[in-house]
Amino acid sequence: MVNGPPSYAATSTTTPIVNRPQLNGHRTASSDAVTRTKILLLGLRRAGKTSIQQVLFNNLPPKQTFYLETTMRTVKHAFDTVIPLEIWDCPGNITVETLGAPLSHFSTMIFVIDIRDLYNNPISKLVEFIVAAYRENPNMSLEVFVHKAEKLQEDDKIENFRQIHERVSDRLLDISPEYEQIQLNFHLTSVYDHSLHEAFSKVLHKLVESLPYLEDLLNVFCANSQSPKAFLFDTTSRLYIATDASPVDSATHNLCCDYLQMLNSFGSLYKSATPHSRKPLPFTPPPSASSTSSLSPVPPRSSSSTSPGTPTSSTTRLTPHPSKDLFYPSAATSLHPSTPGTTLTYHLITSQLALLALLPTSVYEGRRGLLEFNVVFFREGVQEICEVEKETRDGR
Amino acid sequence: MGASGSGKTSMRSLIFSNNPASLTARLGATIDVEQNHVRFLGDLILNLWDCGGQDAFMDSYLTTQRSTIFQHVGVMIYVFDVETRGMSKDLEYYRECLEGLQQFSPDAAIFLLVHKMDLAREPKNTTFDKKKKELQEASGEASVTVFGTSIYDESLYKAWSSIVHTLIPNAAVLSKHLTTFAGACSATEVILFERTTFLVIATSSPLSPPGQSGSPVDDIDAHQLDPTRYERTSELIKAFKHSCSRVREEFHSLEMELHNFTAVLDEMTKNTYVLIIVHDPTIETAALKLNIRMARRKFEELQGDSLIS
Repeated sequence: MVNGPPSYAATSTTTPIVNRPQLNGHRTASSDAVTRTKILLLGLRRAGKTSIQQVLFNNLPPKQTFYLETTMRTVKHAFDTVIPLEIWDCPGNITVETLGAPLSHFSTMIFVIDIRDLYNNPISKLVEFIVAAYRENPNMSLEVFVHKAEKLQEDDKIENFRQIHERVSDRLLDISPEYEQIQLNFHLTSVYDHSLHEAFSKVLHKLVESLPYLEDLLNVFCANSQSPKAFLFDTTSRLYIATDASPVDSATHNLCCDYLQMLNSFGSLYKSATPHSRKPLPFTPPPSASSTSSLSPVPPRSSSSTSPGTPTSSTTRLTPHPSKDLFYPSAATSLHPSTPGTTLTYHLITSQLALLALLPTSVYEGRRGLLEFNVVFFREGVQEICEVEKETRDGR
Repeated sequence: MGASGSGKTSMRSLIFSNNPASLTARLGATIDVEQNHVRFLGDLILNLWDCGGQDAFMDSYLTTQRSTIFQHVGVMIYVFDVETRGMSKDLEYYRECLEGLQQFSPDAAIFLLVHKMDLAREPKNTTFDKKKKELQEASGEASVTVFGTSIYDESLYKAWSSIVHTLIPNAAVLSKHLTTFAGACSATEVILFERTTFLVIATSSPLSPPGQSGSPVDDIDAHQLDPTRYERTSELIKAFKHSCSRVREEFHSLEMELHNFTAVLDEMTKNTYVLIIVHDPTIETAALKLNIRMARRKFEELQGDSLIS
């Protein structure tokens, strides 16, 4: 969809065909009774709505989005992260009337505009939806993704982005001065880099009610672990759910995204077809183990492979029959060979969430035990929050 | 060697200059011969001759420059575009190059890369097999190795790893020591990578030699690891190195304790990285790191030997 020719005539919405979405009430196609937070994905034909949805939640390589077919009827995608989401991927010709559910059922509306599309059509369509949304559900957060940013050079990109922003605001003011107070959020996005992940993460933050508590936990973790930056990521979509109070530097965010992607790919790469023999091995010293003591002066780390009682979270795995539930994968990569370097750590927190933290390498190597102790506390906190979240949703 | 626009320079920039695949479109045509000295494994210098593929250049290689081009060749890599239209002309040049090579450096290994497989018509396998057969017929007596490659996936790393493998004199010795090392770590597998290119230099062999101290290496066949794992690893690490360089950081080491395995990737010698894969959940990464540190000296020595011979 992305590489389509810039034939703006094709975006006309005057066709009277109405693809009435199949309705089964707003409680949706998903079989479980959980109340899902609904996100509406709108935009003209070929704007990139399905691309966005597929790249984020279905791990589609951005290059493949070219082959996606036009969405003909509203598709509802359920996605479970810290909160259960439901994303409505709508066809380009949908209107407020044909949507099949009142706007008040949605928490967020995302309108996707092709950045090269400066003409009236998408803007009037967007304004139409904004007005309707404001009337029916003033609490709904309204997001505009100015999409396919990769198609333009840096200068044009900013210019078009600004123009689209301006035109939408002008049109709203033309209709009524009271619309000036509508809060609209504009994001410049592209499936080919991390801007889409960052923008969607920000959209998600407004929906997570427990966000302040998660952020508090992250702040405490950072303060106690000397970490300059920590993210709580959703592992499959690579969206960050929460971060600590320090400002998000997009370079660091991108690095974390890439790191997560690499770990996800590695996970299946060396997967063994046979289950491991869980029986404890006889004590086998590493070569010339006698000299190990002189080589590892760092006290909290144990040099022998089988000595129990190392103060790491992986001690849980030393029990004869470790259950899968108790094991949380972790990883670390050091980013600079010299002494003051940084280490990027990864700790799985729940089955969907992972903590990524930047740490000084000296802290990671010298006080790993304490660090992992902090992680365990953080994990307990997050799990508790998730539990409460789930209970309230089930109870509703 | 290869026809104009077949992707020789793209390939080189990807493997040796750490550029992402998306930037290769910006490369211009190579004029005449671009000579590149690539330090591989520190002191082993690969002299890469990237030959411009336009007909005028090709003609001159085969006539006036014949002796310069084909003398002292260790490896000839001939690149074919999988979807080329001028295959017969391509093959004609290829045959002449073969002749030149047999005249001046008869011992050179020959690799044929069927490139741009990402653009090949479906079904890709049949297209490739047909091409491979055609090329093997064209090569006649000479023994050639044919690979299907694409800069957008791991296949390029597979091809280059085996090319490089033929250039390393003591690969078998390295492999034997890696196997010993794998035994000492209770590792399923140990893989040695070159530092800058992240091409696979050697791997531990699956069978643990008899009489070896340390626990036996798990039979690798029992694990049925993904056959493309080496190339995928090269690709993943290379991509991550690239993301690190964008934030002006340098990738240094990696350790993972994931659901299915434990792995440590760390510097072995100053030009190589080692990846240890362990499927035994009781092995700690710290122990593996320590083992790497202990083995470092021996491998430095081995590498020193390899360069003298």
